[in-house]
Amino acid sequence: MDPFHNYDVFGYSLEWYLILLVWSAIALGSHFYQVGFVVRLIRLGKDDDRFNSWKQRLTEFLRDWLGQRKVVQDKVAGYAHALIFWGFLLLISDIVDLGTGGLLQAFLSNIQLDGIWNLIVDLGYAMATVGILIALYRRIIIRPAQLKGASIEGPLILLAILGIVLTAFIVEAGNMIGEETKYNTWEPIGVLFAKQMDGMDHATIASMVDISYWIHMILIGGFLIEIPQTKHSHIIGTIPNVMFQDHNPMGTMIPLQTNENNEAVKTDDLDFDNLTLGVNKFADFTWRQLSDGWACTECARCQDVCPAYKSGKTLNPMQIVLDIKDYGREHSSLLLAGDEPKESIVDRFTPDAIWACTTCYACVEACPVHIEHVPKLTDARRHLVMEAADFPEELQNLFNNLERNSNPWGFGAHTRADWAEGLDLKVGEPAEYLFFVGCAGSFDDRNKKVSRATAKLLKEAGVDFSILGEMETCNGDPARRAGNEFLFQMLAETNVDNLNSVGTLKIITACPHCFHTIGKEYEKYGGKYEVYHHSQVLNKLRQEKKLKIRDFEDKVTFHDPCYLGRIGGETEAPRGALGGDLIEMERHGTNSFCCGAGGARIWMEEDADKRVNEIRAKEASKTGADCVAVGCPFCMTMMSDGLKSIGDDKQVKDISEIMLENLEA
Amino acid sequence: MNIAVLIKMVPDTESRLEIIDGKVKEDGFKYMVNPYDEFAVEQAVQFKEAVGGKVTLVSLFSDNTSIDTDLRKMMAIGADETIVLRQQEYSGNKPSSNARILSETVKELNADLIMCGVQGIDYYQAATGPMIAHFLGVPHVSGVTNLELSGDKLIASRQIEGGLQIVETPTPVLITCQKDMTKVRFPALKDIMMSKRKPFDNRDVGSEPGNDVQTTECSLPPARGGGVILEGEGPEEKVDRLIEKLKMEAKVL
Repeated sequence: MDPFHNYDVFGYSLEWYLILLVWSAIALGSHFYQVGFVVRLIRLGKDDDRFNSWKQRLTEFLRDWLGQRKVVQDKVAGYAHALIFWGFLLLISDIVDLGTGGLLQAFLSNIQLDGIWNLIVDLGYAMATVGILIALYRRIIIRPAQLKGASIEGPLILLAILGIVLTAFIVEAGNMIGEETKYNTWEPIGVLFAKQMDGMDHATIASMVDISYWIHMILIGGFLIEIPQTKHSHIIGTIPNVMFQDHNPMGTMIPLQTNENNEAVKTDDLDFDNLTLGVNKFADFTWRQLSDGWACTECARCQDVCPAYKSGKTLNPMQIVLDIKDYGREHSSLLLAGDEPKESIVDRFTPDAIWACTTCYACVEACPVHIEHVPKLTDARRHLVMEAADFPEELQNLFNNLERNSNPWGFGAHTRADWAEGLDLKVGEPAEYLFFVGCAGSFDDRNKKVSRATAKLLKEAGVDFSILGEMETCNGDPARRAGNEFLFQMLAETNVDNLNSVGTLKIITACPHCFHTIGKEYEKYGGKYEVYHHSQVLNKLRQEKKLKIRDFEDKVTFHDPCYLGRIGGETEAPRGALGGDLIEMERHGTNSFCCGAGGARIWMEEDADKRVNEIRAKEASKTGADCVAVGCPFCMTMMSDGLKSIGDDKQVKDISEIMLENLEA
Repeated sequence: MNIAVLIKMVPDTESRLEIIDGKVKEDGFKYMVNPYDEFAVEQAVQFKEAVGGKVTLVSLFSDNTSIDTDLRKMMAIGADETIVLRQQEYSGNKPSSNARILSETVKELNADLIMCGVQGIDYYQAATGPMIAHFLGVPHVSGVTNLELSGDKLIASRQIEGGLQIVETPTPVLITCQKDMTKVRFPALKDIMMSKRKPFDNRDVGSEPGNDVQTTECSLPPARGGGVILEGEGPEEKVDRLIEKLKMEAKVL
């Protein structure tokens, strides 16, 4: 019997009160014990000081957590979730009221707020009901592709919370019916239920209310016990995840060692005796990387946008996140005792999955709860390369070439400026801008043409610029994304020394990887520059009429490079620079799909039937454009090859080449 | 097992190659470890790991210290110690006198096994190794593709014309290593760092007159013209152009 029910027929009953007390103690005790257990596991992680910028964090929290900003990007599932989420926030206080026999209601009625509170709660239940029904419809009737293979847990929990909501309405309604029925108009949905129940005999209503009350309480208690064990841990896990989201620019990586000013310790001064290279143990991760595991809702959005997953490779970014949680759970007793399980993190992720990532950050962008998938994989790569020396053979060539000739192909470093022959460019002299050409633009025949086009346009517009010539080295990105952080740092230090010696602080590059690394990563290595992608400078020159360029007439589509668009946040300049009406691919801008080159993948073997570039080439092909414009030398290679292998003879051109073709004489 | 490995520093294959006054201009070169010698280091380290002992690297080079990092990397693979003989007038093209100088240092090491690459990829003489064996008075097996320890003997395989020769040899012996003798490991960063703490001994040595060859002339191979990609609408037109070129320019048709 409902111990507190204020319906006259029942009255107070001690034993039911005790049963409720015991059940609450079990549910809450179990809940908090389990949450504490998870917290202890997460606290095994290393420090990551994100306890700063509180104002910004609070704003983000309100926007992303309360406001469900990214959740609702998926219209159906997103709004269903938001309704359930907001509904439960509104109704949650009712649990306290029901659990204490109406104490909250009584208190609020003293201060005349009970009516409005009743309305809020009723509205909450109503919103949750709608959300749950949409979600159930989606899971059981629509069954979208990403839900194939999803466990039965989802629908079961939805049914359970539907039970929580419906029973609440019945209890609400029952409270209105008595010797003299009094509809509480503050509870409109409750009234709807009451109207249905009114006229039944009182004993039936009484049992309905009692049974509903107990079902309600059992389900809530059960849910509390279940939350920490399953994907519903996200109800708690997303709070720290969203609150302590990464404030570094997307794609930035952490140096091997930093000093008190958060600058990288120079390679010569690294303290190798106290240095963990990458991650192979649970406790090598930072607490924030571990907490991701319990924030994951298994919504599979990361999986849907992952080029590795979509091309049939072993990697599934969602599985990587879940691996953290599962590994922690399965080995919890050893881990908490400070011992090492036999199975390592790399074993759990599997090397194939670790090497499949293109570091395109589509997963991170797609995640509604700020999970950071990519660093987990690049950290594992650091371990494999620097600690275990166990990595794909092709990378050994890459590393050797970068070490010896500071470019990935191993061309003689002295031939770096050969592309510029006859252009009469300043080399190594101070100028307003420095054109950082990058390796592909310097050595790859196809991309040398892009460098020439860019240089010609800059000259045409009268821009004062120079190049580093033989002094330039690879920015280090291929080594870094492949796990060789040490080699990256050596290249970065060389570049910073050379750039600083020339003294030009404004840099133009046609390579988004140089753009990202020099612009956003070099500061920690002593180089603070203003770095522009060539499309940004060319767009400005075009808008200022320093370059007179006709709008192109062909049918052109533009493939956004990951490190310019999504990671670099620049999607407008390339379009402005190109001019004309683009035919956009379905996935473009920050949602662009990787060409498959990133994360040093272009230097690794790829199975012929699992090529990322073919997926993207097909998308470009579908637009019916005659020409695919690119803004990255590696996209150039990948898109050209991809189109060839699907038998499409579309041309692939860099933004600068299309501009040069349309330059008004 | 006490193993000495001889390392020759050779110009990086991607270095700028210029000939001035009939001589190769060497001052712009970047140097690297002769790739054949890397097999020797790896194999030596594998023997050490199997039966214990010590691996000492010996190199003869000029005062240029830019090579030190690469030599340390060889120690990162697992060698224990490096001795670099610094010679003012060093040239990689003097096998006889270089062998004489190297053999004096190797003698001090009392090595059971002396290893080096089959040849240097600078002058391709394949002479220094066997000459050192001669000066030391030990046997040598050259161009070995596979080397195994068998008790206190070594079993070496040599690829010869049309077959494989298996040679059993007692120690001390000098082995020159052919390509693909073993797969050279990529040292982990920890090993690269630890190699900085291993002994690196620079010793000045003088010049030694030797019965060396004299270079009389040097020239670069003639530059090859770039290829031509035939443009045209469709394969038929391109084939027509090709036939025309074969007739008119190459005059082979």
